Amino acid sequence: MSHISPVAQRVRVTFGKAGPLVYTSNLDTAKIWERVLRRADLPILYTKGFNTRPRISLAMPLPLGISSECEIIEISLRERIDICEEQLRKRLLSVSPQGLTIGAIAEVDRRASTLHSLVNSAEYRIRFLDDAERPDLQRKIDDLLNRESIIVDRTRRRKRSVMDIRPLILGLRVESGGSLVAHLSVGDRGNLRPDHLIELLGLKDLHHTVHRFKLHFLAE
Amino acid sequence: MRTQLIERKLERHLLQVEKPGRYVGGEYNSVVKDWASVDIKVALAFPDIYDLGMSNLGIMNLYHQVNMQPDMLAERVFSPWLDMEALMRKQDIPLYSLETKHPLREFDLLGISLPYEQLYTNALNLLELGDMPVLSRERDERFPLVIAGGHACFNPEPMADFIDAFVIGEGEEIIVEIARVVGELRGKSRHEQLRAIAKIQGMYVPRFYDVEYQDDGAVRSIAPNEPGIPERVLKRIVITLPKPFTKFIVPNIDTVHNRAPIEIMRGCTRGCRFCHAGMVTRPVRERPVQEIMAAIDEIVQHTGFEEISLLSLSSSDYVWVEELAEEVNRVYKDAGLSLSLPSLRIESASADLLEKIGGTRRSGFTFAPEAATEKMRDLINKYVPDDQVLQTARDVYSRGWRTIKFYFMIGHPEESLEDVQAIVDLCMKTLQEGKRILGKKATLNVGVSTFIPKPHTPFQWAPQDTFENVSRKQRLLKQQMRRGGMHLRWNNYEDSEFEGWLSRGDRRLGRVILRAWKLGCKFDAWQDQHKHREWLQAFEESGIDPNFYNFRERDLDEVFPWDHIDVGIHKKFLREDYLMSIRRETRVDCRDKCFACGILPKFAKERSTTEDMAWECPPVTPISERRRARHAEIPLSAIG
Repeated sequence: MSHISPVAQRVRVTFGKAGPLVYTSNLDTAKIWERVLRRADLPILYTKGFNTRPRISLAMPLPLGISSECEIIEISLRERIDICEEQLRKRLLSVSPQGLTIGAIAEVDRRASTLHSLVNSAEYRIRFLDDAERPDLQRKIDDLLNRESIIVDRTRRRKRSVMDIRPLILGLRVESGGSLVAHLSVGDRGNLRPDHLIELLGLKDLHHTVHRFKLHFLAE
Repeated sequence: MRTQLIERKLERHLLQVEKPGRYVGGEYNSVVKDWASVDIKVALAFPDIYDLGMSNLGIMNLYHQVNMQPDMLAERVFSPWLDMEALMRKQDIPLYSLETKHPLREFDLLGISLPYEQLYTNALNLLELGDMPVLSRERDERFPLVIAGGHACFNPEPMADFIDAFVIGEGEEIIVEIARVVGELRGKSRHEQLRAIAKIQGMYVPRFYDVEYQDDGAVRSIAPNEPGIPERVLKRIVITLPKPFTKFIVPNIDTVHNRAPIEIMRGCTRGCRFCHAGMVTRPVRERPVQEIMAAIDEIVQHTGFEEISLLSLSSSDYVWVEELAEEVNRVYKDAGLSLSLPSLRIESASADLLEKIGGTRRSGFTFAPEAATEKMRDLINKYVPDDQVLQTARDVYSRGWRTIKFYFMIGHPEESLEDVQAIVDLCMKTLQEGKRILGKKATLNVGVSTFIPKPHTPFQWAPQDTFENVSRKQRLLKQQMRRGGMHLRWNNYEDSEFEGWLSRGDRRLGRVILRAWKLGCKFDAWQDQHKHREWLQAFEESGIDPNFYNFRERDLDEVFPWDHIDVGIHKKFLREDYLMSIRRETRVDCRDKCFACGILPKFAKERSTTEDMAWECPPVTPISERRRARHAEIPLSAIG
């Protein structure tokens, strides 16, 4: 009789984090979303069990301290709703905290793979707050990119290992305003955090902000 | 300009600290008004970290009351954690408000919440981080007026050196009156401002009172030193509870109680002799069920919180508790909403109530038998027989709840080791019942706190138990309660000793608090931060004997440092109750029989504007007889 999935509709929302929300962790961002959805009074689907929670998933964790315009959340609904992008965006924004921005909204196939498994790399813009123009930046980038391998020690779950992170750097360039644009691998197949890159470039002591502006996916 | 400088520094350095989200504001429902176009600016401070302060209903209520005024704004301030404090001192960032990042000093009024004594050193620290002298007499009209309120302020004396004026009692209405006066008297001398503040009913301005001491160290007298200042300050109450606040600020980070509270009732008529809240929050005021239901609905809409707790000192005594549970069950059964109803009485009906109310059963069962022998139960005037405890436990376990939490209290000077042994025995029997029903899954968590005599309670005359006694009692508990399925928690004696000093302290403790803070004491509510040795050193250097405050049995006619603070309860009533406790005599719930505590004559005028039973005080005859006597009309004049 009812082996049908309780998911009536899956909705994918692109969103951004700015201002105070930059200081909210990934876990807490999920909580913010739960409450935004409840305030927006959407027919969210809840998990079964003792601690019932809305069925939502964030595509790729955004490290604390980084702003973004390209985060993705998928929301499972128990009833179908009319996806009028403009209206839905307004409805969500009217109940969102300061710093939450809403981009594209679209329905996705209920059987599509989870987003997390599809994210491959991300692009970041690193802006230096004081003395934005850094004459030595291009040279530092070239030096790094010219290396065939960059072997680093990594300690994960108390296990030390060495790995080459050079392949995780997919691109580095300086923009006209002096910002550094970095294209780095993310996800299970290899992950390089922007703060690690900044350390490699010897720029850790310069005040800067990091903004994630694009996620790249494996071909679905 | 200063706010931009603060923001600039935060952008550069904030990621160096743990949980930076504590320090940036921007939460949904926070109120950000245009600074330049609002006349009166109020900072509301909770002197502990954001994670704790955000759960404080009192602060939220005041925030709402002030922000409702078009010409006023209220913004929040919390204590920075140690890492942030170090950063602020290093980068020269003054303590600022979360809403608009204005330094504390730029506000007209600073209200500090002091619900418990362990926050005193943090209050001093907060003033200093806000670039203000910590001593009241060193701050003139160029500084914000500093007021404090909350339950600890029913004995304001230990903090008298630091706070300009105290709110005695309930803050909802008075906060706006104070802010209004501060706005009107801007630019006038601090003395003049304070004289006007002291005229507001419920406000206590310590500098207008002189305290004299006897040779033995006890207070001889406390008297006003200015004309027109009342000899005693009567606490402020609201006649009926204002509509519950529902637009709670929704934190962007995880906090201690990440949920919305609704106060369903204020005050309590049980008369437990150790209970400070039960004495100082009289009379009882209850909210109608419809008002609570409407508030739950609004909270869900306005906040999206998944958890709401229905607060009161004794939920089972809320007259319409069953109707409320029915309604909640009917409306929110499958709504993904979890409600909790703490402070239930130990009786089978409580299991029914929680089953109806608790959607996801997260909160579990918490009961407070407090004592386990007849003697102790009579002494503290909280009587719950063993049979009733066990029957309730059976009811709870057999409905599938695996965990029960019990609260007991040790450390009354009259208590013997046999009385403590009875706690162990009762817990064992309870857990046995659980295991019989659920097998190994049944657990019992037992919290055993140490009794601290509180001002304005019948035990204000009683000595606190000694280190030796408490240690012996705790050892007994620890040895015998290490069983599978039983978890014991207790208070560190140093923490209890410390709380004791400040609870019944006098004005001379100001010196000690200042010294302790200078020695590095802060976050005293955090067990791993409290520096007991430094406190003892501060007492020593101030030439004050800490034992004077904890271990004396006070004379029945001793003048207490808080006697000029009138909570509406006659000292004579408390004394009588204290003597009854020594004779092990009890008093029933005062809804059934009035013991003339004093609250009615004190607030006769206010009471005359309410419906007859609005405060649950029986007019002349007990409620049982009144029910029998149909059509009985009782004139208001008979009330007392």
